[in-house]
Amino acid sequence: MSALYELADVVQRYDDREVLRIPALSIESGIILGLAGPNGGGKSTLLRLLAFLEAPAEGEVRYRGEPTRGREYALRGEATCFPQEPYLLKRTVRANVGFGLSVRGVADIRERVDAALWQVGLDPARFSGRSWRQLSGGEAKRVALAARLALRPRVLLLDEPTANLDKDSAELVRRAVLTARERDGATLVVSGHDQPWLRAICDDMLWLREGRVSAPVLEQGHSWPAAASTQASEGGQP
Amino acid sequence: MNYILDGLRQAFVLLVNGDPETFSAVATTLIVTFEAMAATLALGAPAGFLLGYASFPGKRAVRLTVETFLSFPTVVIGLVVYAFVSRRGPLGEWGLLFTVPGMAVGLTILGLPIVIALTAQAVENLDRRLRPTLLTLGARPRHVFFATLAEARFGIMLAATAAFGRIVSEIGISMMLGGNIKWDTRTITTAIALETGKGEFATGIALGMVLMAIAFLVNLAATATRRRSAA
Repeated sequence: MSALYELADVVQRYDDREVLRIPALSIESGIILGLAGPNGGGKSTLLRLLAFLEAPAEGEVRYRGEPTRGREYALRGEATCFPQEPYLLKRTVRANVGFGLSVRGVADIRERVDAALWQVGLDPARFSGRSWRQLSGGEAKRVALAARLALRPRVLLLDEPTANLDKDSAELVRRAVLTARERDGATLVVSGHDQPWLRAICDDMLWLREGRVSAPVLEQGHSWPAAASTQASEGGQP
Repeated sequence: MNYILDGLRQAFVLLVNGDPETFSAVATTLIVTFEAMAATLALGAPAGFLLGYASFPGKRAVRLTVETFLSFPTVVIGLVVYAFVSRRGPLGEWGLLFTVPGMAVGLTILGLPIVIALTAQAVENLDRRLRPTLLTLGARPRHVFFATLAEARFGIMLAATAAFGRIVSEIGISMMLGGNIKWDTRTITTAIALETGKGEFATGIALGMVLMAIAFLVNLAATATRRRSAA
C-alpha cells in the first residue's frame, strides 16, 4: 500500500492558541483509520485538515505525494467530510443528497441519490421528497451521510458519525461505511468515542490528546493491536 | 361622517366603472414600482451579500453608511436626484426629470439601503456550518455564492417586501421627480395628495383602496412563496 496522506511538522492554531501538533503522520491508501481520544484532543481539527477545509498554520500536508496548498478546491473533489453536527440545506432530501453531484456535473444524479439513501437505510420513495424540516435528528444525520456517500469519494472523513444515533442507526452507518470501502475503494478516517464501534470497523487507530498523538488510552479490558499501516510520531506532552 | 361614507360609495363606483384617470395612476404606480424594485434587487441583493459575507477594510464604515441611509428623508433623496437630473444638473441631458424612469431612479435610491442592509443581515445570520458543508460537497466559489443566496432567500424576500412597501407608498420623491403630471407621472400617492387637496375624497379613497389591495396581494404572495419554499 502507498501513502495517501503525509503530514510533516503540522501545527494548527486558532486565535494564536495551538490546537494540534503532529510531527509526522502517514495514512495509507485503502485503510479505515480510527481517531480516538478525549474531547478537545484535535480529532475534528485533523479531519478538517485532511478534508482540505483549512490549511495548517505550519508544516505541510501532502496528498498522493503532492503538496496540497493552493489546490484545495480540486482536492475537495476527492475527499469529503461528515462533521459532528451536519448541516442540511433548506431544501428537500433529494436536493440535499444531490447537491454535491450537481456541482460536479454528474449525469445520473437521480440513481445515485436513490442508491445513497438506500445505503443509509432510507427508502427514497418515502424520504426523497421530504423537506429538511420534516426529518428527525437521526434521519437528518443519515441524509447528510447519504450526501457524502453519493459522491463516492476517494476519502471519506467521518467525525463521530454515530453520536446521538440509536443502536440500529449506528449499525446502518457501520454497514454504509464498510460498503464505501468495499464498493468504492474509499480510504476512511473515522473519529469517535465509541471504542467497540471503532474497533469493529477500523484497521488502525490513532490516539489524540490535547492536540498531540498520544499512547493508546483503552477502556478497561480492551486491547488494540500495534499500528499496522499508519506511522505516526508522538508529539509529546504540550 | 356622511361625506366619508359618500366618498367610499363613490370610490366603489369609480373602481367598478374603470375610471380612466384612476387607473392611469394605478398603472403608473405599478410600472414605476416594478422598475425601481428590479433595479433595487439587481444592485442591492449582490451588494448586501458581499457586505454580509465578505471581510474587507472599511466594512464597518460601509455598514454604518448603509444603515444611516435607511432613515434618510425621502424629500432629500428627491432633492439630490432632482439636482442631478434637472436641466442644469450633470445628468440633465439624459432627460429624466418628470419622467417615469426618473422617478424610478429616485425610488431605487430609496429602496437600495433597505435591501442591502436586510440582505447583509440575512447572510450574516446564516448557520456557520453552511460554508464548510458546501465546500466539502465540492462547491466552487460560484456554487457557494448561489447556494448561500438560496439559503438566505427568506431574508432576501423579507428585504424585498420591506423595500416594496417603502417604494409603492412613497410620495416625496414621486412628486419632486415626476411632477404629478396627469396621464403620465401621476401615481396613486401623488394623486391622493392632489385629490384630497381639491376636496375630491372619492377619488382619494378609491386610490387608497387600490394601494392597500396591492400591498396586501404582494405580502400574501411573499408569505405563500415563503411557505412553499420552506416546505
